[in-house]
Amino acid sequence: MMQIEVLFEQIEFLAIASIVIILAFLALEHRNIVYAALFFGFMASFVAGIFLLLEAPFIAGMQIAVYTGGISALIIFAVLLIPRAQDSSLETFATPRRRRIGLVISGLVGLLSGGLALVFPWYDTFAPDMPPLELNMELLSQWLWSENVIYVQIAALILLTSIVGAIAILKMDKAERLISIHGEFGIESVEEPIEDEATIEEPSEEVGDE
Amino acid sequence: MIPLSWYLILSFILIALGAYGMMVKRNLIRILIGAEIMGNGVNIALVAVSIYSPSFSFVGQGLIILVISVAAAHTALAMVLMLMYHRRYGTVDLGTPISLGDNENV
Repeated sequence: MMQIEVLFEQIEFLAIASIVIILAFLALEHRNIVYAALFFGFMASFVAGIFLLLEAPFIAGMQIAVYTGGISALIIFAVLLIPRAQDSSLETFATPRRRRIGLVISGLVGLLSGGLALVFPWYDTFAPDMPPLELNMELLSQWLWSENVIYVQIAALILLTSIVGAIAILKMDKAERLISIHGEFGIESVEEPIEDEATIEEPSEEVGDE
Repeated sequence: MIPLSWYLILSFILIALGAYGMMVKRNLIRILIGAEIMGNGVNIALVAVSIYSPSFSFVGQGLIILVISVAAAHTALAMVLMLMYHRRYGTVDLGTPISLGDNENV
């Protein structure tokens, strides 16, 4: 009876892993970039299945929320915001020579690390003192929010920094147009009034840049 | 029970695929997708090693929470940099000859 369960688990793993690899390959190689982004989203949700097999349900939920919900949506946004990015006839694909070199190098990376995975004496079972699956989320939240709250704070800081950085980079050329004046309280800056009116009247070619 | 090496092999296949995509592709969006696939492979390896370690601790899962939020942050930044690149050079193809300094087309 135990053996059947183990076999079933292994079949489950092999099915999910092969789907993940096929979807990752399609996400890289599909000629239409919108489909590539969609396949990436599907791949991320199947990786969440791998996390469920590893008995880490919170990580699986986070994977679906961030990768499938957030990052693949960001990639689709990037495709939609960049004009002509969806047109695959305009895209130049890699030459066969470059493709061969890339295949060789990535094959070396895979062989090296695969050899490490097979040769090194890894553990065969889960940790013996692992808590049951029902308690996993409760214990993880206790662990995360008590003495290890620094992880949450670092994550919050990184997200805040990236938001501020993204907005700053996008608005940088507008900031370059500001001229500094010496006001009453030190250096202030005002916008050039004429240029803003001129940009409003001109029909902008780029879609959704602002 | 699934041996740990299976998870590691899956993660290394994903890392190799992502590295292939990052090296071969010329479109910036595809390079970003390759980087994300590499990140997914690293996540699988981290969670698997932390779950299979001889004494259980939540450090691996806490680290993964950090890694996933960093991945979201760097994707947002990469998208903004792609938009800037497109605004400056009119393309997201890395193979087109460009100059890095200030030129007339900026």
